[in-house]
Amino acid sequence: MTITEGQTAVAAFTPAELYARILRDEPLFILDVRNEEEFRRSPIEGRANLTTVNIPYFEFIEDEDGAAARVPAGREILVVCAREGSSQYVAGVLQERGYRARYLEGGYVSWGNFYDVRDVVTADWGRIVQIARPARGDLSFAVISGGKAALIDPMRHTQVYRDVVAEAGATLTHIFDTHVHADHISGGPALAQETGATYYVHAYDAIHPIDVLPAVIAYTHVQEGDRFEIGAVTITARWFPGHTLGQVNYRLDAPDGRSALFTGDGIFLRSFGRPDLGGKGEAWTPILYRSITERLPRMADDDTLILPAHFSTLDEGDANGVFAAPFAEVRATNDALRPRDEAEFTSYVLSHLPVFPPEYVEIKRVNIGLVTPCDGAANELELGKNICALSNA
Amino acid sequence: MSIAYDQTLDVKGAKCPMPLVKSRKAVNELPVGQVLKVIATDRGSVADFQGWVKTARNVELLAQETVNEGGQELFVHYLKRTA
Repeated sequence: MTITEGQTAVAAFTPAELYARILRDEPLFILDVRNEEEFRRSPIEGRANLTTVNIPYFEFIEDEDGAAARVPAGREILVVCAREGSSQYVAGVLQERGYRARYLEGGYVSWGNFYDVRDVVTADWGRIVQIARPARGDLSFAVISGGKAALIDPMRHTQVYRDVVAEAGATLTHIFDTHVHADHISGGPALAQETGATYYVHAYDAIHPIDVLPAVIAYTHVQEGDRFEIGAVTITARWFPGHTLGQVNYRLDAPDGRSALFTGDGIFLRSFGRPDLGGKGEAWTPILYRSITERLPRMADDDTLILPAHFSTLDEGDANGVFAAPFAEVRATNDALRPRDEAEFTSYVLSHLPVFPPEYVEIKRVNIGLVTPCDGAANELELGKNICALSNA
Repeated sequence: MSIAYDQTLDVKGAKCPMPLVKSRKAVNELPVGQVLKVIATDRGSVADFQGWVKTARNVELLAQETVNEGGQELFVHYLKRTA
């Protein structure tokens, strides 16, 4: 194929289309043409019927016919690269050879920054909306009731949240971070500046655990028992230290008796938050043990809906991509929460710790205002899926 | 870094895959044994050139360096045609 700049001969597909088809578990073939290192760090993951193969684009440049021969014929090929250009080129090479090939609009960067918005609960008192970043396994929430809105763990792209609140005709009043995140950049402080809503985080998390330096962002300290009225619902802060010292779960109580617990990185549907990301795993593991065994049963009822800040695999959610389950179900199916004595718990934690991504130390600096990256650097810091949970392997 | 080179290819501003496409072409036109200095602004070119030379027929990556020129980061690659 003759390569010219700005070629537009092949068709694109969007992150939204990709995610919808992944959720339906359609048979999909993704040809990822990034270099091997980037591919390994952040592959696009789906369910059983997604096949992903990595053939870097420069192998096509070296030998178009040879590389194309390694791509299966007779099925649709979805080509993905880092920023779009190379996938456009490879899709063109394949199309010339009779393949049905399209490329991902905006490349992996746009997949990483794609948000999926859907309702978790709708009732006459209002709604709980899940705002997910599927590529990262990150979840955040909006609570809308009586013309007011609160956000829990909003992420970097603040316009997404402003749109959700505006479409509901509501006013944003409260922004809650369950903790200072290590894996992604919070949108909380920026949203507070943009909208005038109050940003809440526990003060223990406003000190960088490794630098031991204080936050330079504006925040309001939230502590155990603090109550907030959002329209007809009440949100109560419940301290759950362990993943971080200032991790707070937020319990929602609705007038119809329903309840939900936004658990942040406290517990997940199939795991719980690792206690070592502050660099103090040995000291924080016993604290996490007491949070799980003593605090958690006092803040969730059997039918309390657990709404965590992360998932590790898509099959933790339902067919519609909603990641929520009643506490009784989570307790019964989450192997990490199985009753253990403290010694068993400690050895379980130690034997299930995944790698510690070095960029997580820097992301915490960003989240308390110690450094301010540009968009490109922020994309780099957030590349790939979160590793905040203990592994299930 | 003082690497001796014979020709220079300026791909500043070019986005992936163009730095590599143009380098491939330039190496094809280079006499065997000569060295091409490629100057790029695309950060991704650093890892991509490393991956490329592993599969390329006749190219060796002698060195890579990052230099700051008036506030702009330049990613410089030295490629030798080996056959």
